[in-house]
Amino acid sequence: MSVAADVSLAAIKKELAAAAEYAAAACLELSADSLGEQNLRFLLRFENQGGELFYTEFECTEYPLYPPTVEFVSEDRSEKGTKRLYPQGFHTTPCICMRYNRKAYAERGGPHGDWRLLDWRLPSGNGIAIDSLALMVSDLHSKIRQSSGRMS
Amino acid sequence: MNDHTSSSGIADASHGHGPHVVHFKVQTPRGLWSLDEPKDATKRPEYPVSIKIEQVISDVRSVFGFVEQDSKYTLLRGREVLDPQRTLASYDIENGTLLVLSVQGGNA
Repeated sequence: MSVAADVSLAAIKKELAAAAEYAAAACLELSADSLGEQNLRFLLRFENQGGELFYTEFECTEYPLYPPTVEFVSEDRSEKGTKRLYPQGFHTTPCICMRYNRKAYAERGGPHGDWRLLDWRLPSGNGIAIDSLALMVSDLHSKIRQSSGRMS
Repeated sequence: MNDHTSSSGIADASHGHGPHVVHFKVQTPRGLWSLDEPKDATKRPEYPVSIKIEQVISDVRSVFGFVEQDSKYTLLRGREVLDPQRTLASYDIENGTLLVLSVQGGNA
């Protein structure tokens, strides 16, 4: 089963409006200038409690059937997924270990063999189900804001 | 004044000698809470300044259905985290101020 790029793009654009409103109010920087059928990605800049900047890329191929791959990247996106790009407090794989991140699933090399990609909208633990791009942004915002320093 | 009841239930307090009332907006991951959004909200972000931040968090959660107790809910003004035990007055929240409700899911 797969999702056509134009379908994913429409879903992303629809949800991104709410995510952008949240990001603007929270002083986050959202960059979706290059978003298109051939590039289903957007970037967010966060700050931790010490004012250090962190960048995450949302790669949304086959969204919303499957969750995006959410990864910490360098500002110019030339480096991805290294520990020095991660804030303290995240899974040391390193990984954003939430159901909304495709990288967290064992079938994609992540730590969770007990999750199924199709169930990505289920809550983690007893918390709220993170089932939209805006909620993903808010969840990351909350976690990064409380962190200090980098993983390495 | 809008057609809805304010969260504080003291809609007339901004007139005369009642307590000072402030109205503001709260951006959440599920939308904006304001004097006219969402249309069907049963509460509005209009409070006497003596109200604590925790009451605002409780009300905005009820408006948008954030019922999960194990999630973390934080109210911010830009980058500034607002202490739930402090009052609106202690932060000099002014009419029209935009606040943010940050919602954190559970940990895996």
